[in-house]
Amino acid sequence: MIEYNLCGVLVHAILGQVNQVRHQLESLDGVEVHETTKDGRLVVTVESGSRRYVADTISSLHEIDGVLSASMVFQFNDEIEPEEIQVQGEMPA
Amino acid sequence: MKISRRDFVKTNAIAATATAAGITIPGIKQALAKGTDDIRWDKAPCRFCGTGCSVLVGTKDGRIVATQGDPDAPVNRGLNCIKGYFLSKIMYGKDRLTKPLLRKTAGKYDKEGDFEEVSWDEAFDIMAEKWKAAIQRSFEENKGKPVDKITSRVGMFGSGQWTVWEGYAASKLYKAGFRSNNIDPNARHCMASAVGGFIRAFGADEPMGCYDDLEHGDAFVLWGSNMSEMHPILWTRITDTRLTKPGCEVHVLSTFKHRCFDLADNGMVFVPQTDLAILNYIANYIIQNKAYNQDFIDKHVTFNKTPTDIGYGLRPEHPLEKNAANPGKGKLSKISFDEYARSLEPYTLEYTAKLSGVPKEQLLRLAKLYADPKKKITSLWTMGFNQHTRGVWANGLMYNVHLLTGKISEPGNGPFSLTGQPSACGTAREVGTFSHRLPADYVVKKKEHRDLAEKIWQLPEGTVPGKVGYHAVLQNRMLKDGKLNAYWVMCNNNMQAGANMNEETYPGYRNPDNFIVVSDPYPTVTATAADLILPTAMWTEKEGAYGNAERRTQFWRQQVKAPGEAKSDLWQVMEFSKRFKAEEVWPADLLAKKPEYRGKTLFEILFANGQVDQFKKTVVKDERGNSYDNDEMEAFGFYPQKGLFEEYRRFQHEGPKKGHEQGEFELYHQARGLRWPVINGKETLWRYREGYDPYVKKGEDIRFYGHADGRANIITAPYEPAAESPDKEFDLWLSTGRVLEHWHSGSMTRRVPELYRAFPDAVVFMHPNDAKKRGLRRGMVAKVVSRRGDIEATIETRGRNRPPEGLIFVPWFDAGRLINKVTLDATDPLFKETDYKKCAVKVERVIA
Repeated sequence: MIEYNLCGVLVHAILGQVNQVRHQLESLDGVEVHETTKDGRLVVTVESGSRRYVADTISSLHEIDGVLSASMVFQFNDEIEPEEIQVQGEMPA
Repeated sequence: MKISRRDFVKTNAIAATATAAGITIPGIKQALAKGTDDIRWDKAPCRFCGTGCSVLVGTKDGRIVATQGDPDAPVNRGLNCIKGYFLSKIMYGKDRLTKPLLRKTAGKYDKEGDFEEVSWDEAFDIMAEKWKAAIQRSFEENKGKPVDKITSRVGMFGSGQWTVWEGYAASKLYKAGFRSNNIDPNARHCMASAVGGFIRAFGADEPMGCYDDLEHGDAFVLWGSNMSEMHPILWTRITDTRLTKPGCEVHVLSTFKHRCFDLADNGMVFVPQTDLAILNYIANYIIQNKAYNQDFIDKHVTFNKTPTDIGYGLRPEHPLEKNAANPGKGKLSKISFDEYARSLEPYTLEYTAKLSGVPKEQLLRLAKLYADPKKKITSLWTMGFNQHTRGVWANGLMYNVHLLTGKISEPGNGPFSLTGQPSACGTAREVGTFSHRLPADYVVKKKEHRDLAEKIWQLPEGTVPGKVGYHAVLQNRMLKDGKLNAYWVMCNNNMQAGANMNEETYPGYRNPDNFIVVSDPYPTVTATAADLILPTAMWTEKEGAYGNAERRTQFWRQQVKAPGEAKSDLWQVMEFSKRFKAEEVWPADLLAKKPEYRGKTLFEILFANGQVDQFKKTVVKDERGNSYDNDEMEAFGFYPQKGLFEEYRRFQHEGPKKGHEQGEFELYHQARGLRWPVINGKETLWRYREGYDPYVKKGEDIRFYGHADGRANIITAPYEPAAESPDKEFDLWLSTGRVLEHWHSGSMTRRVPELYRAFPDAVVFMHPNDAKKRGLRRGMVAKVVSRRGDIEATIETRGRNRPPEGLIFVPWFDAGRLINKVTLDATDPLFKETDYKKCAVKVERVIA
C-alpha cells in the first residue's frame, strides 16, 4: 500500500487571463485542469504521493498571476494499492 | 468494468469541484455510477473560524480519510478555504495527548515537579481536593453576605470553540454548582466589544442581517477586517458580487495594507484609533448634507450620549486609570437630535483627514457612499473594531451611521459583526458563558433573571450569585494576586493569547497558592504552564453543535473515536461534578431550602436530575441508515447532548425575552443549520423587519424589540487617543493578528507539517523605509521591544501585509515567538476586551 493524496480545487481567474492561468497550472507536477468556464472558473486537481507537495501546491496557487481565488472543494488522503498510482510529484521514501 | 479506487476518488473530486463551479462535465456521472466506495460521508461544520462552513467528512475504518466542501450548505456552497484541507489532519498530530499528566516529585503532586502520566481517577482526586479547599475559603469569606455580594476562589476560562452543550454544562456547573461567576470564555478577547455594541444599541446581542447580504449589497465596507485571509469563503462571495454586479464597490479600511486591498475600489490606511473620528466624520457628513432618513429616525431611533474619558481598563493604580474622569462608566443619557448633531461638528473633512492620514477625497467618497439613499451597504468588521480600548464605542458609532440612514435590517443593508471562532456566538454569547451572563441574553445581576435560571435548573432560591465574576483579563490579575486559586482552562490557549503574559498571565499560573488545570488535545504553551493537563477529544471525536456569525446553529455527529484516554470537555465537566456533594459546595442555609438535595452529588443535582437525563440511551443514526458512536451517551447511560440542549431551550421559550428561540434537537441533525429565531421550524434571515422577523407585527415595519420602546439607540462618543502611542523611545505602533494558514495560536495548525511550512515562523511585517532607518533588511533577525517584554523575529518588508511607515504587524500564532510578552493588557473599560492592535514598541537590530 502507498500513500495517495488528492485535492479538487476551484480556481477563479481574471477574465482574459484564463488561458494563461491554465497554462501555468498545467506546468505544475501533478496538476490537471479538467474544465474552464466562460466566467473564469477552472476545475483543477492536484495529486501526489506526498501530503506536503499537495499542500505546498495549493497554498501557492494564490501567487499565480491572474488567480483571484483558489478554494478547496475535495481532499483525500489514504493508502491505496501501488499499481493504481502513477502520478507525478514527490513520492514518499 | 469496475474502476480503480484512485480513478473513483479522482472522479469524485472532479465532480465535486465542477458542481462547486456550477457546471457539469460530460461522462462524470456515468463514471461515478460504475464505482463504489466504503467511505461513510456525513456533514459537520468546520472547527476553525466563525464563518461556519459545512464540510462533508469521509470516514473509513475509524479514520477520517477525506473531506469535501458541503454542496448543500448555504454558507459555503461546496467550497472550503485552505484551512479545510487540514481539518482531517489536525486530529492526527504526533504529539496528541492521550493520558492525564500531573506535575509530581517522588510520586506526589508538586507544583515544581515534572509531568507524569496519571489515571483520570488520580487527576480528578487532586483536582477535587484543590477545588474543595478553595471553596471552603470562599465559604468563610462569604459568611453573612447577601447573594449579590458573594465571591469565589474557583474559576474557569472557556471557549468560543466549546460545543453548545459543553459551554452550557460548564456554565451550569460553575454558576449553579460551585456558585461562582468566575467563568469567562476566550471570546472575551474577540467579541466582547461587539456584544457591548449590540446590547447598548439594540438591547439584544448578535447581528440583524445574515450572509445573504453579501449578494444583496451594492457596496461592502471593511472596517478592520482582513476577510481575504480570515474569512476566505465569505470574501469569495463578496468577490463574486463585486465582479458580477454592475456598480458594486468595495471599500477597505485598515491600519496596514493586506490582501483585501487587491479588490478594493477605495483602500484606506488610517492611523490607529482614528477610526473613531472617521465614523463620526461620516455621521457629520450625513447630517450636514441632510442625507439622514427623517422618517426612520422619527419612528425607530432615540439619541444618547455616553460618559467620556473612561480610562483603559488597566489595574486601578495605573496612572491612566487614576487620571481618567469616568473610569469604566457607560450609563447612557438621552439627548436631542440637535445635541447629537452638535457633538459631531468637530469632525470635519479637514480635521479627520489630518488626524487619520487618509486623503480627503477618499474619505469624501466613503461618506458619499453611506449618504447615497440608492446604495445598499453592508459594513463588516472583526478585530479591528473589537480589539480596541474604545471597541464598544466603535461598534456603536458604526450603528449610528446605519441608523441615521435607515440602512439596516433588510437585504443588502446592514452593519455586520463577523466572528473569529466557530461558536463565539453559539456557545460563548448565546449560552452566556461570560462572567456576567446567563443563557439567552439573561444576566446574573438581575434577580428576575437568576430566578428564571433557578427555576429551570431546579435550584433553591439564591443559588446563583448576583455579583459579576472575574472577566478574562481580571482572572489573570486575580490569579497573580492570589484571589483565584483553583482554575480550569478548557479549549483555548490563553497563556499565548492573553496580553502582557510576562507581567500578568505567567506569574498567575505559577503562583504557589494556585492549582491550574488545562484541558487540551495538544501540549500547548498554556498546558505546559499548568499543574495538571487533561487530554481532550476534539471536533468530530464527539457529537457537537456550533453557532456561527449569522445566528446559524449547526450540529454534527461523532465520526471517530478519540485517541487513548482523551475525553470530550462535556465528559470532563459532567464526570468531575460527581466529586462534589451538595454540602461541600453550598452553605447550610441554602441547602435547608431544598433538603432533598442533602447527600446528593452535583452530578445528580445538575445532570441526572430527571430533565437532562430524560432522553434514554439510543443508537444515533442518520437518514441514510448509518450508525454513529456517542461516547458520552455510552458513559452516562443517557443522551446528555440532547438533554442539555432541550433544557437550554427552556431559557429561550420560558423567559420574558423573545427572539432567541432555537428549534428542537433533532431538527438540527437534519438541516444544514438554521438561523434563530426559529419559530415553527422556520428560520429568520433579517431580524426586526416586518415580513422577515415573526416578532414584528403587521404594519410595524421595523421594531427593535430588544428595547421596551421598540427603538434603537444612537449613541454619540468622541475620538479619544489610544492607551499607549508611539513616542521618542518606543517609536512604532505594534498591531497583532492572524494569517490565513494558521488559526489563532496555532495549537492545531502548527501540528500539521505542511501548514507549518507554508508559514513557518512569525515575522515582523515592516515598511522598507523603517527597516532601512534601523539598518535592517528583509530576512534579518530583529528584536521587538516594548515596556513589558521583547521577542526576536525575522524582518519581512514584502509579502501579503504591507504596513505604512511607523507601524509593524506581527502575527501571534508562533509559540516560539510570543508577541504577547510585548503587548499591553489595556482593555475596553466597558466590556473588557483587550486591545491587541495598539501599543508602542521599538525595533532593534540583533548583533549576532
